[in-house]
Amino acid sequence: MQSNVVVLDNGGGLIKVGLGGERDPSTIIPNCLYRPLSSKKWLHPSPTSSDDPLDLTSASVRRPIDRGYLINPDLQRDIWSHLFSSLHIPPSQSSLLLTEPLFTLPSIQRATDELVFEDFNFSALYVADSPSLAHLYEASLRPTGIVSKAQCSLVVDCGFSFTHAAPVFQNFTINYAAKRIDLGGKALTNYLKELVSYRAVNVMDETFLMDDVKEKLCFVSLDVPRDLKIARKSGKDNLFRCTYVLPDGVTHTKGYVKNPDEAQRYLTLTSGDQPAQNKELDELQVTETPKDRKKTDLTKNEFDLTNERFLVPEMIFHPADLGMNQAGLAECIVRAVNSCHPHLHPVLYESIILTGGSTLFPRFAERIERELRPIVPDCYQVKITTQEDPILGVWRGGSLLASSPDFEAMCVTKSEYEELGSARCRRRFFH
Amino acid sequence: MDEDASNPFRRMSSRTRKVASKMAAALASSDNRTQAALARLEALENDNGVIEAVEINDDDEASLDDDDQVYMQKKQSKSMKRKTRQAKALEARKAPRTFIELLHEANLESWPPHVPSYIRAAVGPPSSTSRRHFCAVCGSAANYSCVRCGTRFCSCRCQNIHNDTRCLKFVA
Repeated sequence: MQSNVVVLDNGGGLIKVGLGGERDPSTIIPNCLYRPLSSKKWLHPSPTSSDDPLDLTSASVRRPIDRGYLINPDLQRDIWSHLFSSLHIPPSQSSLLLTEPLFTLPSIQRATDELVFEDFNFSALYVADSPSLAHLYEASLRPTGIVSKAQCSLVVDCGFSFTHAAPVFQNFTINYAAKRIDLGGKALTNYLKELVSYRAVNVMDETFLMDDVKEKLCFVSLDVPRDLKIARKSGKDNLFRCTYVLPDGVTHTKGYVKNPDEAQRYLTLTSGDQPAQNKELDELQVTETPKDRKKTDLTKNEFDLTNERFLVPEMIFHPADLGMNQAGLAECIVRAVNSCHPHLHPVLYESIILTGGSTLFPRFAERIERELRPIVPDCYQVKITTQEDPILGVWRGGSLLASSPDFEAMCVTKSEYEELGSARCRRRFFH
Repeated sequence: MDEDASNPFRRMSSRTRKVASKMAAALASSDNRTQAALARLEALENDNGVIEAVEINDDDEASLDDDDQVYMQKKQSKSMKRKTRQAKALEARKAPRTFIELLHEANLESWPPHVPSYIRAAVGPPSSTSRRHFCAVCGSAANYSCVRCGTRFCSCRCQNIHNDTRCLKFVA
């Protein structure tokens, strides 16, 4: 009976789905339909783990989720039914644990309930929010750590559609204290697309390609003014310049970083001011491949990235630079903590958990700590925990919850839904 | 859905209207710069680049033979006629609404102030009003701004590039 709980983390970017009690989800697929240039039909994407050489060039996408919330239940139904049939999950004999973003509008909740009970006939439903699941997983990892001892943590979920800083207490998200920045991975990809399209090659249609560029090349700068100066230098002094080769559709259908060593050079920059001994390192690398660096290969379409690599993730820390009237991530965390009871403040600062795909940028945690330290009272310790796999953290929490003995008692069953309706059933989940 | 795909004219017209209204709104506003900035922020949440969907349809149409074209037009006029008001209403109901529309519909402002909601969860304006400026052309720290449109740039060279390419254009 237990293995019949389907855990579904329905993110704006990726769907993570699997059976409760397992460590990893069975499938991770992009939550969208796509249409390549060569096709007229909308196709289902294949799981991200398989490496089919799909031609995603200039593919357009349709997503059921806009700004983090489910706006197109019909499209979502298509995607789910394809997903369940490919995984051989019979919905009518399973219960469902579904994640839902904080502050979902009542009309969207109703549409979700209809989707789950009326279209798919799931026998029971539990709706969880991602911060509490991430907290649950983290607490189970370290039974002696402060997160599980104090039963309290601050989850920073920086995902595809937006970023939330939400305190969790006794496995419940304190919703009056949760704060949101309207920036996530999607906005960052689009911003990078815009920059590259203006400065180098028009890539406005290449969503999948630019996602790849962002994941491979972007990083968080620890000292923006210094890095901007370095990025202006020419030749090999410029530690940030690197080249990305676009797919040509003949020999390779996926883009790639031209010289991965070159792309990693920024890591030699430490927090100290002078990268003195690093220079030798650079020259070593440069002498290894002098030919590659000199000639521009005219047969290949490629573009250079320099300061875009750190200015793009920079937006999460300073949305104001983009013209958004919102505070940055560090301030967002402080405001979330300050909305809680003062007794919780020391514990919350000491148990900050980072989750979500956009926290995968290198040096993300370091940067938050640096920004947080000056604005947090110095009697509090700041400790930031990163998850080993931030994309799956929430799903694993859900899997734990689904395998707990009292999970069934927490669910809303189909008969209850039919009798009471959506709004009454929702009260059981306390949101 | 299929109806939409076989009906390129309708789609094309809807698109131009959309862009035009955006431009019109931006032009009508007393403050063009804020409007352009808002449109730009809005564009960050787009799923696709703006232009491509329609162009694909144009190509499909162009590749057809003359006979096919005539046939297509006939089919179109037929389907146009057949579309009753009811069918249109149905289609409108089926079309997914954007999150912003749903948000307006939910009328969160009318909720009592102690209830946490989507609007109240927004982090709010930053405490310091200072804003760093990056050159729109090359990305480095920008000390100058364009007198005509307010876009930032860092050097004379970037200014020239800006004037040649983007000045006073609405980048949506």
